[in-house]
Amino acid sequence: MFNKTIIESAARSPWIFHINGGSCNGCDIEIVSVLTPRYDAERVGFKLVGSPKHADIAVVTGPITKQSLPRVLRTLEQIPEPRCIVTCGSCPQSGNVFRGSYSIAGPLSKYVHVDVDIAGCAPKPEAIIDGLLLAAKILAEKKRTGSSEVQIQNPFAPAREKEKGENE
Amino acid sequence: MTDFLNYRHFPVYSVMALFLGGFLIIVLGNKKVLRNILAVLSVSVSLACMLALIKPVMIDGEIITYWLGNRSIAGGYAIGIALEVDALSLFFGLLISTAVFVSCIYSIQYMANDRNVSQYYTLFLMLSGGVIGLVLSGDIFNMFIMVEILTFAAVALTAFRNEAFGALEAAFKYLVVGCMGSTCILTGTIMLYAQAHTLNFAQLSALIPGNITTSGKIAFALLIVGFATKAFLVPFHPLAADAHGAAPAPVSVLISGVLTKSGIYGIIRLTYFLFQTISQSSFRLLLVTVGSVSMFVCVTMALAQHDFKRLLAFHSISQIGYVLTAVGLCSALGFSAGIYHAMNHTLFKGLLFLTAGAVLHETGTTNLDDLGGLSKKMPFTTALFLIGAFSISGIPPFNGFASKWMIYQACYQKAVETGHFGYLLVTIICLVTSILTLASFVKVSQSVFFGRLPEKYEGVKEVPFGMRFAMGIFAVLCIVTGLFPDLVGKYLTHPASAAAFNANAYIDAAFGEGYASSMLGPFASAAQDVVFDTAGVWSPVSWLILMMIALIAVTIAAVSGKYEKCSAAPEEVTDPKHELFFGGEKNRFSQVGGSDLFWGFKYNWRHYFSGMHDLHSGVLNDYALWAVVALALAMFFMLIVL
Amino acid sequence: MSVIISTLMYLGFILIFPGFLFCFFCGMLLCGIERKIVARMQKRVGPPILQPWYDFFKLCGKETIIPTAANKKVFLFAPVIGLAALVVIQLFIPVFGFTAFSGNADIIVILYLLLVPALAEIFGASASGSPYAGIGLSREMVTIISCELPLVLVLLAVGKAVGNAVGTGVCFSLQTIAEYQIEKGSLIKQFSMIPAAAAFLLVIPGEIGSHPFDTAEAETEICEGMLAEYSGPPLAINKLSHAVKMFTMTSLFCALFLGGLGVGIMTVDALIVLGLSIIITVCVVALINAATARLKIEQLFKYYWTFVSGLAALSLILAWFGL
Repeated sequence: MFNKTIIESAARSPWIFHINGGSCNGCDIEIVSVLTPRYDAERVGFKLVGSPKHADIAVVTGPITKQSLPRVLRTLEQIPEPRCIVTCGSCPQSGNVFRGSYSIAGPLSKYVHVDVDIAGCAPKPEAIIDGLLLAAKILAEKKRTGSSEVQIQNPFAPAREKEKGENE
Repeated sequence: MTDFLNYRHFPVYSVMALFLGGFLIIVLGNKKVLRNILAVLSVSVSLACMLALIKPVMIDGEIITYWLGNRSIAGGYAIGIALEVDALSLFFGLLISTAVFVSCIYSIQYMANDRNVSQYYTLFLMLSGGVIGLVLSGDIFNMFIMVEILTFAAVALTAFRNEAFGALEAAFKYLVVGCMGSTCILTGTIMLYAQAHTLNFAQLSALIPGNITTSGKIAFALLIVGFATKAFLVPFHPLAADAHGAAPAPVSVLISGVLTKSGIYGIIRLTYFLFQTISQSSFRLLLVTVGSVSMFVCVTMALAQHDFKRLLAFHSISQIGYVLTAVGLCSALGFSAGIYHAMNHTLFKGLLFLTAGAVLHETGTTNLDDLGGLSKKMPFTTALFLIGAFSISGIPPFNGFASKWMIYQACYQKAVETGHFGYLLVTIICLVTSILTLASFVKVSQSVFFGRLPEKYEGVKEVPFGMRFAMGIFAVLCIVTGLFPDLVGKYLTHPASAAAFNANAYIDAAFGEGYASSMLGPFASAAQDVVFDTAGVWSPVSWLILMMIALIAVTIAAVSGKYEKCSAAPEEVTDPKHELFFGGEKNRFSQVGGSDLFWGFKYNWRHYFSGMHDLHSGVLNDYALWAVVALALAMFFMLIVL
Repeated sequence: MSVIISTLMYLGFILIFPGFLFCFFCGMLLCGIERKIVARMQKRVGPPILQPWYDFFKLCGKETIIPTAANKKVFLFAPVIGLAALVVIQLFIPVFGFTAFSGNADIIVILYLLLVPALAEIFGASASGSPYAGIGLSREMVTIISCELPLVLVLLAVGKAVGNAVGTGVCFSLQTIAEYQIEKGSLIKQFSMIPAAAAFLLVIPGEIGSHPFDTAEAETEICEGMLAEYSGPPLAINKLSHAVKMFTMTSLFCALFLGGLGVGIMTVDALIVLGLSIIITVCVVALINAATARLKIEQLFKYYWTFVSGLAALSLILAWFGL
């Protein structure tokens, strides 16, 4: 009976746990700014939680240094299903300017399935919100299908391209 | 032959059975099975005698006077030794023999690996017989004899495991201060005898109250201080902590649940019967003050302890403080609440000491900073500990709450009736002490039973059946007496408090109708109309029914929502998913418990705690000095104020 | 026949009003409104009012991870017991004239019954074995101790004030308090009760653990404290208990100080209580929440045992002298 409600709710209340994998703090600051009055991500139900066991979405920042790799993986493992893993900034995706460094173990996608990548150094708060909303959609989809790897089309993508065209 | 089974003989049987058992055990020596059977048999006989007396004494209201050797009154003076059993004596006798019975059963397996177990049983039965003899005795010198027997048995039992650290020191401290108490009682008795030429309690109660001389006042001070030593009231509380820490668990049950009750019983007898000073408001205030100081000081001392058994020891004095406060109010409700709490204290503190004993038996330590996570290895003990902990902290619907609730009501009623600000303060102290008690038991549960299990205790097992059975008896009694306060009131506490407010009946039972009023004259108080009205309501059964329905509803909802079907980790799983969250670090042993807890509270009270720390130096000379000062103050109070 | 009807009626009381459904609905509503108001005060849009329900249902659909170190039974069933105990407290609190079960407990009992859900949470946390939970429960216990003294003083003051008026000297019965207020008007109209009411209002945020008294579950420093290891449905039940506790405290305030505002019709009374609860939540919980930062635990203790207790003691003294 409540199954439908639960699936719907999954998209409406994504709780975020933030993991720092050796970041320069630029992305971290942007993530916090998402929750400030200007962007107010709480209006769509986002909430920063303090324990991975409460979280739905893990936001990973930083290029995943060798020191932080086991910690990041262990924390990601402790997030209960269904969960979404989001990389924030270019570092966890590609290594960014740290690429090739002896101390870098990234990119993150070598180790776990990453659901959403948010590009940028650091990404704009709008981009972060966009990525997180996509992650929330994926969460609901994961709950519905019961699988742990779901691909969906970014519903916000066309709108953004149009915006770009107007700007030009 | 049938006369042999007349219930009038039962009081003396219950005392005799214990002493005889102790004697036979030492004679028959080290035959293991025989000695266990003998010990259980003698405590069972004692308990059975007590239970058989409920009908005539509690329900029919008879007061049994039993003259040993059939030597009764000659020429208006009591010559022989009397046992006099009224509802009050029987009440204490009942709870004492229950505690003795359970801890004897527990001892069988708990003490199985010790040396000299037959001596242990002898001392154990001597102690029990001493306490039961004390509460049944109708003769003040006999009371002194029993006090001596129980003090020496208790001292010897404290030092029984003399290979353990501190056992001899504890016993020595107890011996010195205990002897000071006994001496006080003896001196007081002598002074009374010099004045009244009799030792019979009933006769003294008839002669003394109308005629309290200066020497009578000094005798009173001596006796009160003597019995306060036995009850470990402030300032005698440090002894209890040492003694409990060193003694084996079943003995701790006796010292805390039984021996302290004998002190309370003595104080009740002295103040309600012998001197009847309880009718004076200044004296009531003294009792209530001592009670609430004991209550508060000991609960804060308990919060600062690092040892399971020492913590329990301080709590037992704190609870005795509740009893004394309630009894000192001198209202029917207060008195019945007080003795109800005395009974509950015996039950829950017995249970808690036995669980502490179980922990010691399995792990070999009671240090709160060393233990943790035992609930996975000893689930039954943990469940029983929680019952005991909830009871002592006054969480509904357990028995501690039922009696504490009555104490709050009685205190506040007294405060409103008299308009005295002190009683209001006492009510607040009672209520706050309860929450501090809870705090210290949260500390124990977190540092012993929950939290992380240290690796060295991986092999710990649940305790054997005999010990679990003994603990189970206490736990069931805790729940039953908590759920049916009305029944307890009707059959146990109300008759006992009616007896306490009717000293004349006690006197007349021994010396014939009308003796009390003829001797006491204007001081003879008519049997009071005893009312037990409370200003509030509490029906545990209806709470329980509602709670059950609510629990069933939530559980059905939870189970239908597949609440249980979750990724439960098998015991040996070590994958990162089922590790604790350590900020991403690999799991390592980390236990928050023992002295780490309640920092915010301790910080704000740091001056108080450091003052207390300095005061409790552990030096016997200091404690002896405190005893002397307490005696001096008591005498001063009796001579000047009374 | 009549037995069946009355049984059904009482079951209805337990399950619908003022029991489960009503509690859940009100608690979640208060929680949603509180979050909304806090957001508005920070010039944010804030989550929708239904957000607590979304959170609850989402958590119900999540996986439950039980740590290897935990004691499974206690860890799982402590939240269930806590929730049930909280609903039972709610049954005892009168809704103006409606006192279905209030005859079974008095305010002192309520004071101690309020400990049962808190204890359930503490033991559940304790059973998880997490050191964060250990620190959290230590702080929660200190918070409970802190709130206890002012609550005790408030309840004694109320007992004395009503007892004075009824003529029995002291009165703790919830039913009598409710009836007295219906007859003579709300207690808060009495001069002596105003400090007590203020103290009680200040205790509410501490009892429910909202800012600035949320030291026990500080998510930024000790990873949500006691809840650190919970996930999925048990966490949902814990969150629900927090929401219901908010309503319990506010409706207890209504029953003690604002009685007699009802009109005697059950549904309307329920709505009035709900309305008053919302006002109290907005004024006390949300505004203080938005305006303050978290206190340290020893500051919290000091605040409650000096300032709030002082207010309550003032009221007790006034009531003592019959003012």
